[in-house]
Amino acid sequence: MGSVGPSPSVSYDLPLPSDLRTRPREDRRRAASLPESLLAQNVVWFCRLRWIVVGILVAFGALDLVPGLLSRLGLRSHPFWPFATAAALSLANIGFLAHARVAARSTPSRGAKANLWAQIVVDLLVLTVVVHYMGSLETYVAFAYLFHVVLACIFFPRSWSFAVTLLACGFYLTCVGLEEAGILGDAGIYATTTLRDQMHRMPGVRLLAALWAILTWTVVWYLASHLSAMVRERESDLTETNRLLIKAQEERMRHMLVTTHELKAPFAAIHANVQLLLKGYCGALSDAAMEVLSRVAARCQRLAVQIQEMVQLANLRSVGQASLRPSAIDLAVVIEGCISQLRSSAEEFDVRIEEDLRPARTVAVEDHVKMLLSNVISNALQYSRRGGRVGVRCAAEAGGGPSVTIEDEGIGIAPEKLPRIFDVYYRTEEAVRHRPESTGVGLAIVRHVAEIHGIRVRVESAPDVGTRFTLRFPPSEGDDEAERLGNGSADGVRSDR
Amino acid sequence: MAYVLIVDDDEDFASAAAMVLRRAGHEVAIELDPGRARRSMEGRRPDLVILDVMFPEDVSAGFRLAQAMREDEGKLRGIPVLMLTAVNQKFPLGFGPSDIDGESLPVADFVEKPVDLDVLRDRVSALLERPAGRG
Repeated sequence: MGSVGPSPSVSYDLPLPSDLRTRPREDRRRAASLPESLLAQNVVWFCRLRWIVVGILVAFGALDLVPGLLSRLGLRSHPFWPFATAAALSLANIGFLAHARVAARSTPSRGAKANLWAQIVVDLLVLTVVVHYMGSLETYVAFAYLFHVVLACIFFPRSWSFAVTLLACGFYLTCVGLEEAGILGDAGIYATTTLRDQMHRMPGVRLLAALWAILTWTVVWYLASHLSAMVRERESDLTETNRLLIKAQEERMRHMLVTTHELKAPFAAIHANVQLLLKGYCGALSDAAMEVLSRVAARCQRLAVQIQEMVQLANLRSVGQASLRPSAIDLAVVIEGCISQLRSSAEEFDVRIEEDLRPARTVAVEDHVKMLLSNVISNALQYSRRGGRVGVRCAAEAGGGPSVTIEDEGIGIAPEKLPRIFDVYYRTEEAVRHRPESTGVGLAIVRHVAEIHGIRVRVESAPDVGTRFTLRFPPSEGDDEAERLGNGSADGVRSDR
Repeated sequence: MAYVLIVDDDEDFASAAAMVLRRAGHEVAIELDPGRARRSMEGRRPDLVILDVMFPEDVSAGFRLAQAMREDEGKLRGIPVLMLTAVNQKFPLGFGPSDIDGESLPVADFVEKPVDLDVLRDRVSALLERPAGRG
């Protein structure tokens, strides 16, 4: 039976949301180890720690230079090995640092891992020498291998940290075995050999001591690597969740933009075509028809503004603290931009804007701050009387965040109505009489931005005298504030009372 | 008389604007997407382009076309662009003269929709009277 219909050469399967949430195997594998950049940073950190170890070895060797000191402490003289191991460790450390510098310039990712492995092998070798000279069975110094086991669990995947554990066990058992076989000479830190002699007479005790050490390292490896893997997986999940949140926020912003555009554009087209009729491009119309068309045009323009404000407000209400993207901004520059955009409104309302803008830095989402300031300044312009003045000031405040003051000499607000002016769609009777086309959304946008960013808003007003808005921004602690807020953005203008 | 190209996916708006500009004595063509607009401009160089920002396939296609025109080595480079939009992603609060620069907003002027068609006509006239190369 032949196939029916066309046979397309390119296909696409619509992914379900659950498909996008499933983390690929490669991501999970990557989550098992630390990022290469972090490993590269720790190469240098390990080298710094090694200088401390070198210092301890030199200090220990120096004790032998004080006549009679070690014997008084019950310790054996050790004229050679502390300095020799310190020198070997120093040379190796210089090599590691030099390699790290070269690797940082070329391929840091591969260089970091190789460097760390070399450090581990050298450290374990040197430690084995120290263990031998200090006493492989009769002292606790062999437990210093645990440092390497635990660090490997933190920095490497489980398989790698297990390899480090096996390496430590191998070096230690080799040391003990060579001592048992008499290949390595008698050593130990204690001045008397009583303890070692007794242990030599009890092979079971020696075997038990070695096995106990090996068992301890293995158990510590198991616990530390398990916990470390859990923490890393959790961190990876959080990173993935954060990525999805940012993606969702971006998608929401795009949706808001497209929705606003799709709703506004038809009104722009209606408005344009009504103008053709009003301006006589399609022939003369009766006065009654002109009046009706004027109302249609005015309503179109108002609806376009309302749509934008409503979408902005909805976006602000749904914005999460974690999705904000703050940056360092100078309020003076932001205000200058807002005034530039509102200049035509000021001319239309015949209102003079007086500026006193001094540098006032803060950390916030710039679009939000623009939205807030534009709405407050626009509000002052709208409710000023013709020929009036609007003053805009901003300055950094000593010991606190910057402040912005916007004052007008307009219609003012009655005291009992002040608490309600930030409610969405609320407009005082005086405001409606003065500016019927106002929407009542502007100050609701101001309230939401202020709440998101912790900006204190004070309104002082007297009917027929004027209104003053004072905005006090929280003191920012540079980048810390940016981190506290997270990331994101929105948009908006306009205002009402 | 100048040749003006309107690039806007909203044919109703574009037709209304075209009628006003034709009445002002200009020759006007309309293209509904940036791809065709570019081909049209390469075929016949307009004296001015009125360009929308958001198109169904790409919400920043207008910005991209304006940037491509500025980077063009051929005849598109010096064409003045009057940007026209109801809303846009790059400047969600609307944009002002301070935003006009070669990189972020490489246009000669801008108007936000809804627009008074007389204002649009006057802006077009003003741009056409500018010395060439200032777009």
